[in-house]
Amino acid sequence: MASADKPINTDVPEKDVFALHFLQSLSNLRRQNAFNSPDDTTNNRVKKIKKAAYVSMARAAGGTNRLWSRALLRRAAKENNKVVIFSRRKKRVTWLRRSNRRDPVDAERLRNLLPGGGAMETSKLMEETAHYIKCLSMQVKVMQCLVDGLSAK
Amino acid sequence: MLEGLVYPESLSLSYADMSVPERLKGMQQHQQIEVLSQSSNDSPELLQILQFHGSNNDELLQSTFSHFQMLESGFGTKYNMDFGPSHEAMDGCISRTSSCQIDPADTMGVMLKNSVESRAISLKNKRKSEVKTREEEKTDKKIKVEAETESNINNKEASSDTSKETSKGDSEIQKLDYIHVRARRGQATDRHSLAERARREKISKKMKYLQDLVPGCNTITGKAGVLDEIINYVQSLKRQVEFLSMKLAVLNPELELAVEDLSVNQFQAYFTNFPVVIASKPSVMVDLPLFPLDQQGSLDLSVINPNQTSIDAVKFINLKTSLIILSSCYLSGK
Repeated sequence: MASADKPINTDVPEKDVFALHFLQSLSNLRRQNAFNSPDDTTNNRVKKIKKAAYVSMARAAGGTNRLWSRALLRRAAKENNKVVIFSRRKKRVTWLRRSNRRDPVDAERLRNLLPGGGAMETSKLMEETAHYIKCLSMQVKVMQCLVDGLSAK
Repeated sequence: MLEGLVYPESLSLSYADMSVPERLKGMQQHQQIEVLSQSSNDSPELLQILQFHGSNNDELLQSTFSHFQMLESGFGTKYNMDFGPSHEAMDGCISRTSSCQIDPADTMGVMLKNSVESRAISLKNKRKSEVKTREEEKTDKKIKVEAETESNINNKEASSDTSKETSKGDSEIQKLDYIHVRARRGQATDRHSLAERARREKISKKMKYLQDLVPGCNTITGKAGVLDEIINYVQSLKRQVEFLSMKLAVLNPELELAVEDLSVNQFQAYFTNFPVVIASKPSVMVDLPLFPLDQQGSLDLSVINPNQTSIDAVKFINLKTSLIILSSCYLSGK
């Protein structure tokens, strides 16, 4: 239907939420003693921080309502050999009906970029990309603030 | 057999002042003959309906056509229609019309919807008009008798339709409301291409939204370029995250050393753009807007147990204060 669609909802929470989640994950990393420099190379540390950044972003902004955040969390959990359980979504029937109906080969590069993009319909892909972009920019802002604050000392 | 098709002359005269229906009328008989020649073999009732319709509804047609003219102005192109006869549609029509009454005093809106568009679609006329929804299309070959009940029956039938329709039009059906989409010039109006077009429009709408989101996309026309820009933007954001995480990894050991110098005020100020209050003891949060849940005045950090950084504790407290707590715990290295 070209008209009378629900307006595209890509609200992203405030910067504080992102900051909170990111700091939580960082302090978790701290607690695990992952930052003892003789044990870890810088690369590993970087990877851990990066993963923490993504996971915290997914949890902060996407929650379980967004496809990309679910895919991201699932992927991260699999790397840790854990399993993520998501609560059942209400709109499951619609989702099943619409799955893979149209050629999911369009916008291939975008699908590769976005977590979980391979399974989405093209229109859903666009929505998720918009939300993902907003969340990413927010996360970048948070990390930039942190780095600036820390490096100023 | 086809006498009923010829519209009375009075009707044609009343359209003299209207540009749109003039052309319509010229093609009308033409098309209706076509339509009915395809379908008349199957259902003699259709002819009856036609005769019925053609004979009595002078003012009905007139009024609907006046509305029609008001609706569309200045269109002048032809559009093609596939006339593949669908038998279940015709049966539906018959059952529909058998239960309908003609009531010219009925709501114009309903008649408008049904008659005008059915006529528009069933006539291969030179006009640029938009496509109706699938429910409308099903009934396009019949000249329906307008009545309130008809729309209800339409809804019921449409709702019992294929899943493709219902998935698209479910919410609309329940509201007894049609979304009228009109086919553009030279485009087919069969079911599949309609769905395709609706899907494409949805995608382009979302692309436009993305275009506003990504900076520097406004100048680019064409979906491919915009898509490239979006991809580049996402890649650059990802690279930024990686770069910043590298920086943080470098800064982290320095952070541990610099714990005493930092105050929690400052730390929180990174994120909230508050003016940084440099104090030796982080006792008074001047800048922080305290919500009624929190303690008034000072947030004494000695009181707060740094081990309580579990998420449960965080949930009870306000976001900003939890941020402070967390950052303090992070700084103190727990």
